[in-house]
Amino acid sequence: MSENQSYTIRVWRQDDAQAAGKFVDYDVKDVSPDASFLEMLDLVNEDLTRDGGEPIAFDYDCREGICGSCGCVIDGVAHGPLPGTTTCQLYMRNFPPGATITVEPWRASAFPVIKDLVVDRSSMDRIIMAGGYISVSAGSAPDANNIPVPKPEADLAFEAAECIGCGACVAACKNASASLFTGAKIEHLARLPQGQAERARRAQRMVETAEAEGFGACSNEGECEAVCPKEIPTRVIQRMNRDYIRAYLKMI
Amino acid sequence: MSQIVSFVTSSIGRKLVMAITGLLMIGFLVTHMSANLLVIFDPEGYNAYSHALISNPLIYIAEFGLIALFVGHFVSGFAVTLRNRRARPIAYGENNGAGHTSRKTLASTSMIISGLVMLVFVPLHILSFKFGTWYEAAGDPHVRDLHRLVMEEFQSPLFVMWYLGALTFLAAHAWHGFGSAFESMGVSHRTWIRGSGQALTAILWVGFCAVPVYVYFIAGGGS
Repeated sequence: MSENQSYTIRVWRQDDAQAAGKFVDYDVKDVSPDASFLEMLDLVNEDLTRDGGEPIAFDYDCREGICGSCGCVIDGVAHGPLPGTTTCQLYMRNFPPGATITVEPWRASAFPVIKDLVVDRSSMDRIIMAGGYISVSAGSAPDANNIPVPKPEADLAFEAAECIGCGACVAACKNASASLFTGAKIEHLARLPQGQAERARRAQRMVETAEAEGFGACSNEGECEAVCPKEIPTRVIQRMNRDYIRAYLKMI
Repeated sequence: MSQIVSFVTSSIGRKLVMAITGLLMIGFLVTHMSANLLVIFDPEGYNAYSHALISNPLIYIAEFGLIALFVGHFVSGFAVTLRNRRARPIAYGENNGAGHTSRKTLASTSMIISGLVMLVFVPLHILSFKFGTWYEAAGDPHVRDLHRLVMEEFQSPLFVMWYLGALTFLAAHAWHGFGSAFESMGVSHRTWIRGSGQALTAILWVGFCAVPVYVYFIAGGGS
């Protein structure tokens, strides 16, 4: 059993989208190595509340790595130093005892800060609203294997469908590009028969909505893939490029 | 027409323009570098080659094409960079590479800087050589003795250093650009594509640097 440790956290505090934010240091003591990063923030907030201060606002829901609500940039990396994890699945044993840990919100003009570490990610919802669905109501779930899909294709569709929409890809990209997110949302439908009819239009509308929301372009560095808690590969971006280019070629 | 405009000004459209123009310019650099090596191995052949190029009327079409590639690449790149800067107006207090599967390098994060160096270098380079002193070749007064000009220009240590520096920026640009271009065109990321681009870039860098180094240190008595 490892001993409990103390840390200093340097947290971004910002009252609302208009306010100027700043980093504030907090000491947190007696943190179990098995505490998650969010549980460590809970301890800081308990101290803050007891002392009459304003607790640090941060987003979370399931705390089991599947909902995509939590997320902040920890020591300069989205979701912190471990690959393939959300912030809630990052444990304090991954930080050296006594470390100073910098915690910031996702930074993108398309993700305005609501408060402290909470950002407004509804721009990603609007990308999905632009075409990330099948327009026709197909009734309730069909019987399994009613529509035959080869297993390798189904696996590729599922790999893209694992996207939980946390926004780490945008946070990690030097251009604040939503290409990995948009690509994943296009790809999981583009791999399946149901997605074919609207495939070209979907790529076109979703890519152009991402641009209108103020996300940047893709520089093919792959930082997004490296921080993605679901490790979605950049292949979905290249497939999105192909679908988008093809959508325009079809018009000629 | 409006669809062509909206495609070319979209971020994927701009990246496609940069990919195609960039790869074509790398293709040009391969022929340019190969011909440059004649400076070292066959001075008369070098003059004959440059004479064959400039005496062919098609050269004007080729030159126009190269200028169009350069300008198109720059305009698209600059527009994409401006939009990317707007997408993140507030910088991180601490920003580190994620490591793991990331392909981020110093070269990939400084594309606009290496690109701007080329924007300065290429016009100056054309002024120095294409529009530099016109020596007549000893054998035939109609043939330009470009070899002599090359030998003279690279006597200056500052000029040699500027060229080696600029060529390093060029290599850094192509190091990321080659692989990135294929991904922008929709070709799935493959390690071998990135790797062959980096190998080609290394060959280009060595080949281009060979001429100023050869002239200054070996052939030219630069002391």
